[in-house]
Amino acid sequence: MDFNIDSTGFWLFLGHSPPGKPEILKCRSPEKETFTCWWKPGTDGGLPTNYTLTYHKEGETITYECPDYKTGGPNSCYFNKKHTSIWKIYNITINATNQMGSSSSDPHYVDVIYIVEPDPPVNLTLEVKQPEDRKPYLWIKWLPPTLVDINSGWLTLQYEIRLKPEKTAVWETHFAGRQTQFSVLSLYSGQKYLVQVRCKPDHGFWSKWSPESSIEIPSDFIVKDTTVWIFVAVLSAVICLIIVWAVALKGYSMVTCIFPPVPGPKIKGFDTRLLEKGKSEELLSALGCQDFPPTSDCEELLVEFLEVDDSEDQQLMPAHSKEHRSQGLKPTHLDPDSDSGRGSCDSPSLLSEKYEEPQENPPTFHTPEVIKKPENPEANITCTWDPWDIHLESKISYFHAGGSKSSTWPLPQPPSHHSPRSSYHNMADVCKLTVTPVNAAITLLDKTENDAVKASKTVETGEEEKTGKPREMESSPSKIDQDIAWLLPQQKPLFLSAKPLDYVEIHKVNKDGALALLPKHKESSNKTEKPGTPETSKEYAKVSRVIDNKILVLVQDPQAQNGALLEESAKEAPPSHQQNQAEKNLACFTATADNCRLQMGGLDYLDPTCFMHSFN
Amino acid sequence: MQPTASYLRSFLLLLLLVSNLLLCKSVASIPVCPRGSVRCQVSLPDLFDRAVMLSHYIHSLSSDMFHEFNKQYALGRGFIPRAINSCHTSSISTPEDKEQAQQIHHGDLLNLVLTMLRSWNDPLDHLASEVHSLPKAPSALLTKATEVKEQNERLLEGIEKIVDQVHPGAKENKAYSVWSGLPSLQTADENTRLFAFYNLFRCLSRDSHKIDSYLKLLKCRIVYNNNC
Repeated sequence: MDFNIDSTGFWLFLGHSPPGKPEILKCRSPEKETFTCWWKPGTDGGLPTNYTLTYHKEGETITYECPDYKTGGPNSCYFNKKHTSIWKIYNITINATNQMGSSSSDPHYVDVIYIVEPDPPVNLTLEVKQPEDRKPYLWIKWLPPTLVDINSGWLTLQYEIRLKPEKTAVWETHFAGRQTQFSVLSLYSGQKYLVQVRCKPDHGFWSKWSPESSIEIPSDFIVKDTTVWIFVAVLSAVICLIIVWAVALKGYSMVTCIFPPVPGPKIKGFDTRLLEKGKSEELLSALGCQDFPPTSDCEELLVEFLEVDDSEDQQLMPAHSKEHRSQGLKPTHLDPDSDSGRGSCDSPSLLSEKYEEPQENPPTFHTPEVIKKPENPEANITCTWDPWDIHLESKISYFHAGGSKSSTWPLPQPPSHHSPRSSYHNMADVCKLTVTPVNAAITLLDKTENDAVKASKTVETGEEEKTGKPREMESSPSKIDQDIAWLLPQQKPLFLSAKPLDYVEIHKVNKDGALALLPKHKESSNKTEKPGTPETSKEYAKVSRVIDNKILVLVQDPQAQNGALLEESAKEAPPSHQQNQAEKNLACFTATADNCRLQMGGLDYLDPTCFMHSFN
Repeated sequence: MQPTASYLRSFLLLLLLVSNLLLCKSVASIPVCPRGSVRCQVSLPDLFDRAVMLSHYIHSLSSDMFHEFNKQYALGRGFIPRAINSCHTSSISTPEDKEQAQQIHHGDLLNLVLTMLRSWNDPLDHLASEVHSLPKAPSALLTKATEVKEQNERLLEGIEKIVDQVHPGAKENKAYSVWSGLPSLQTADENTRLFAFYNLFRCLSRDSHKIDSYLKLLKCRIVYNNNC
């Protein structure tokens, strides 16, 4: 048997095959004098394959083989200068051969002039140049690739550089032309820069980028420093200007903000100008129509004022002002300049005598239910600044200095002693009352004592009078007891018609609460004032003592014609020097009180003339 | 048309002509002798600079045209193998590498350049006219063909001047290769015609590259003494 094994079949049996078709990848010439071609081998078919490169030159029929398979690396063919012809087309073919067979690549036509791709430039040097009068700049220098012949002009290269700060991602590319140096002016100080360069022949491909060169740009301290300082100086100047301007504009307000002026004492809500202008009505309204609690000023005024005890019997208790220490019956809101009869609160004798008495019972000021706070349309009239009210009320306070549960003259009480039940309204009224009683005490000795006498008569009437006192109470603190309440309305008509009166000075207050009043003006002035106003011609009656409740014992004191004593019925404290005549007037007093009241048509006030008649 | 419109048109045309003349004059910043002057002498470096500029430009145009033609007409037609050794200037023996070029005397090299430039006068002239007959010829191809023709004429003049300066009194060289490819450009056979064009473009590209390379070598050798 003939055993003839075909080798090819044998190899095929083993799975081998002829080589696959190789493929020429590219050919490149770095300097237009030599070139290299690279190919990609096909499948080797499992067998060692031999690759050969053959070529034909244009115009020749000779087939050449690659002169150098090594220089260009694996699967390459290097054509040196001797084997390179310019301006000729090379027909290159790769042959792959193995035991199974061979295969050839497609012919590849190459003209060297079209495959020129130089190497990157070399010797890239960087330098930061810092001229004195200019900003520093980066000077980049390089050399053309070694193989390229520039000098003869065989190749003409054009360059391109690119640079970037180390941390950025975007390159900054610059075309450098045919020069081998370049200056970069726009730099960031204090950063590390990376630079690369590449070249291109006049009719060829760009080279690859050269390896990176780095350089550190020094921080420009001098320039930075100057700039920073200039900026700081300008900013400071601007800020200073702004401050100066602000101070100039708002200097005063700023000073007042930092050092606020010490406020002078004044009544809240009271316009002192009203005093100057002498508008009594507005003044009264200003003082009387307040609906907030009296301030400490008022409290100081309420020295020795009545404290209305909010008990069932509604009895007045003598006020024991805790502030009796205060000398000031708040003359601040009384215009001291005018001798209009409104009375001066800070009369020393007045105050001293006041202080003696109200020590025992600190009466509580209670809201007299009877004494309402009516809606008095004539608020002005009812304002506490009514001089009559002031006079009477202060007198009342003296009479009631003793302050027991009996209904004596209620002493105006400082609002601080008010019962908690007192409302603010009442407090305001009390404030008003603080002013008025003081003056009232003073003026009681005045000619207007007639009215006081009248008022005192109404005390006897008691409750009837009290109810009719709403209007008056407006001016006086509503907390004042009924006894006081009736006083005020009585005073009203007198006040309306009365001219400013002379004040009386309380001589002394005895323990029973009797006030000894002296005409103030007697000391300073004389009887000339009497005929000054028709009102001043009234005669005053002196209350000698108080009997029981609400009974005043009046005595007409020829000496103290201008002084009048009104005693609250709280205490029977006849004045020491007026006792003798009091009793005989008493009865008449009560009666005349009624008569007077009736005469007046039910108005709750007393006509002093009634009293006079009774006396005479 | 209204007289104002015609006036405007004529004025614009005049303006265009004047600007053209001015621009054409200012294309090359290198000083040019006025026509007819005998003794005007532009410096050799300037002449060479201008010559190199022109040659470089011509090759760029030619290379572009070749690529555009290939892209449009010649892909897959297998023109390349057929075009080997088919240029009409192949008979002109030219150096085939740098060493050979550097060994030739500059005068001879210049004459070589002149011969080649003259050889291309006629083909370029026909090319500019025949390229219009190509089907769907790109406009860029048309303009470049015309441009190459003009620039080639200018380069020829420049090289002649250079030769006068470099080699004064030399025997005037009038030799050139004759191109006889015109019938091929006008043949009815599309394939033949296209191949004729392809060949023309390829040869032009190569020859313009040769001229450019030779002139750059000459410039560096003559003007800069091999120290470009």
